Amino acid sequence: MMGMRAHFAGTLLAAAAMAAGASAVQAQSREVVIGAIVPSSGPFAEWGRTNTVTLKMLEKQVNDAGGVNGAKLRIAIYDDAARPAQAANSLRKLVGDDKALAVAGPLTSSACEVTFPVANQLKIVATSQASSKPGVAKANRPWAFRNTVDEGILAKVSVPYFKKNFNVESVALIYDAKDAVSTAISTRIMPAVMTANGVKVLNEKDPLSFNTGDLDVSAQVTKLKSLNPDGVVIGADYSQAVTVIREMKRQGLVKPVIGGTPLISSAILKAAPEIPLIAPATFYATMKGARAERFVAELQPLLRKESGLPPEIEPSMYDANIYEIVSMYIDAVKTAGVSGKPEDLEADRTKLRDHVAKLKGFEGLGGPIGFNADGDAIKAFYIVQGQNGAWETKVRGCSSANGGGC
Amino acid sequence: MSTYYAGLFADVGILLLGALSVYVILATGQLSLGNAGFMGIGAYLASYLTVTLQWPLTAALVAAALACGAIGIIVGFPALRLRGIYLAMATLGFGEMVRSFFLNFEPMGGSGGFHGMTHVSLGTIWLWAGGVLLAVLVLERSRLWLELRAVHDDETAAGLVGLDTTLTKVGAFGFGAAIAAIAGGLFAHHHVYIEPANFGFERSIEFVLAVILGGSTVGPGALVGAMLIVMLPEWLRVVADWRLAAFGAFLILVLLTRRQGILDRPLLARLAFRRSAA
Repeated sequence: MMGMRAHFAGTLLAAAAMAAGASAVQAQSREVVIGAIVPSSGPFAEWGRTNTVTLKMLEKQVNDAGGVNGAKLRIAIYDDAARPAQAANSLRKLVGDDKALAVAGPLTSSACEVTFPVANQLKIVATSQASSKPGVAKANRPWAFRNTVDEGILAKVSVPYFKKNFNVESVALIYDAKDAVSTAISTRIMPAVMTANGVKVLNEKDPLSFNTGDLDVSAQVTKLKSLNPDGVVIGADYSQAVTVIREMKRQGLVKPVIGGTPLISSAILKAAPEIPLIAPATFYATMKGARAERFVAELQPLLRKESGLPPEIEPSMYDANIYEIVSMYIDAVKTAGVSGKPEDLEADRTKLRDHVAKLKGFEGLGGPIGFNADGDAIKAFYIVQGQNGAWETKVRGCSSANGGGC
Repeated sequence: MSTYYAGLFADVGILLLGALSVYVILATGQLSLGNAGFMGIGAYLASYLTVTLQWPLTAALVAAALACGAIGIIVGFPALRLRGIYLAMATLGFGEMVRSFFLNFEPMGGSGGFHGMTHVSLGTIWLWAGGVLLAVLVLERSRLWLELRAVHDDETAAGLVGLDTTLTKVGAFGFGAAIAAIAGGLFAHHHVYIEPANFGFERSIEFVLAVILGGSTVGPGALVGAMLIVMLPEWLRVVADWRLAAFGAFLILVLLTRRQGILDRPLLARLAFRRSAA
């Protein structure tokens, strides 16, 4: 009899243990899915690959710390090869197949132009980590956001510093005509801000241009030199700007250079250390501050190990931006009453959007973050000067209209 | 159908039209590497008509096709003096010229692009793509197609038997350009945003690739090629960073084993026979 009782108790215990185990498994198998669209192949593969490593690091950090509200975090990352059509299709897949709550990306403004309308149609938040072409999120309210600052706002702070620090009275323009952001910076934003600050633009009517991928810009730089400017405005991303700066050095045109956020990279500093560079940034790898320094210390070894890129690779501004975007989504899931149940998916996505739209003072890597009515980030930015192989902060600015909120 | 596959099928439909625009020109033995240029003109023109002048989409597409057809004929005349690789180079130059034009054409946004179009449904895209494919299939069974093939096989002989080779070649250019314009108009209204970079050299190559891969001797080859070019990179996502390399390897493999493309007349006949036998 005793034996039977013991056996019965044992069976009960085992059943209870199994039930407990099952509920634990159930909790563990619950997932919070955040989507990401990054260009791991194609022209911006470097940024896409470092973005991927950054997101995998964040996913591990969150899951090691117990997940999101007890559920496991899964970041579904898709490569769009920087092609707008693939970015839009990736978003559709994230919404329909992966049941993502929100999406980080896409990276380029061209991809955003095509993907943001789809995000609006499917009612899911999409926040770009790099697009800075003026008005892209504004044209796609209310679901599109960008964790970047409009180049027009940044130039209003960088130009006065450039003028004062280098006694610049005149500038000449050169830009990558194939790239929309570069064209906007050089032909619209910079000429207007320079003129407003009393700096003469020597070739405003006939700015010098080249095309993405051009390896020889000697003719353009010769013309640039003949204008004899005090400073040079380069509208291009860093990989193209390197070609111009190298040619300037070769032709002895050692004049200070100013550009937009796409100039920021460590690679450009090595091209011609004697040419001072001024650019705006919301983050750079040698930035001071506890959060930023910890982020770099954690990410840098992983980038070297996993990205498949050269060993001098450093976390970029876009890695910081995408890290902040997904962290912001996770914060929203935790605090905005997101249930995570499949039947509540649409309501959860709306809660997430409302949370992001009203966000104020979210602790980012370079300071607090919020969003303005256009969907662009209100965050601190820094006018940095490239010298001796490193970027150094010279001016701190805030992207809000009244200068508050950063 | 999931929204994801709906998006992919929309891309297939647009690429099918682009591939058919190359196929029609290729039928006369002329290789055009500038059809993205015609697509670009069609996209900008149709968008201007629907956004600025508030035309309905169908009328805008027809007008864009007619205008591009006329431009195709104009481009076709100087192309008559060129053959083979020289013609390919000239058409490539035309495509780049169009792209550069729109890059500097500020009224349509320049490098900043143009938006404001209304999204077009998948059904409309396939109504056009299917309709044009059907028209090409009907054309393939006509006497006119035999004339096109005759010019392709031996232009001198075709001229000697009394065929107007100039009209055939220029006409094919015009028809191809018109199809490319429809592809452009639908592309603009599917993605609701266009910029000059959408109509670069890579796009022209994609059209030619769809024809070569799917089968350059039969119309439905363009459909097979378009399907593979859009779907394969998506299905190969499992190999992550290697997906484009895997896609390249697949292309080489197909061209090594089937130089004429996946679909050809014997295979089509066999498939048709099986169907009728069943």
